[in-house]
Amino acid sequence: MSSTRGFRAANRRYKYLFWPLMAVYVAVIIGAKLFIDDEVAPAWLNVAGALAATLPVVGTLYAIRRQTDETDEYTRMNQLLALRDGGMVTASIAFLIGFLQIFNVVGAIDVFWFGALFFFAFGLASLKHCIGRTV
Amino acid sequence: MKNSIRALRAEKGWSQAVLADRLDVSRQSVNAIETGKYDPSLPLAFAIARLFERRIEDIFDDEPEPCPREPGDQS
Repeated sequence: MSSTRGFRAANRRYKYLFWPLMAVYVAVIIGAKLFIDDEVAPAWLNVAGALAATLPVVGTLYAIRRQTDETDEYTRMNQLLALRDGGMVTASIAFLIGFLQIFNVVGAIDVFWFGALFFFAFGLASLKHCIGRTV
Repeated sequence: MKNSIRALRAEKGWSQAVLADRLDVSRQSVNAIETGKYDPSLPLAFAIARLFERRIEDIFDDEPEPCPREPGDQS
């Protein structure tokens, strides 16, 4: 059962997955920027680059999911609240920008930024739930 | 829910971090439970009771606190 793992083991397992994934992510981004010219590269290479950059992000989401399963109940509650708040902020801003585009107020915005926005909002919400409840 | 964890912890001379370590939870968890901001699950409450060698009901008090009287309330 997940509740038997505890806070320390969950944190350790999260860090063991998170930091290598971030190293791979940075290496892929730098490598793709240096070695792939997206205007002349074949489509398969562009797709491969995109997949290689996405997989560490998916892995990080998996690490968050696993930590949420394995950590102590109070930390789990705070993480789930932060995921809820981060998701709400991201979805709200996605709808706002989407409607602004439909009404021709703003131009095209890369979908990529919504993923980054989610992690930013999740991070801020984590700080709020973690610090706000215990200080 | 009121509880006597802070007093029991002080008796043992443990910091919040030490208690958190022994329960394998975060220090924030111990703080939230002590201050009544978070009520632990039954398994965690049992773990706390075992650690302090007390019964759960000796540590946690689920009696609601009496409402403060309004000024001039004669009842």
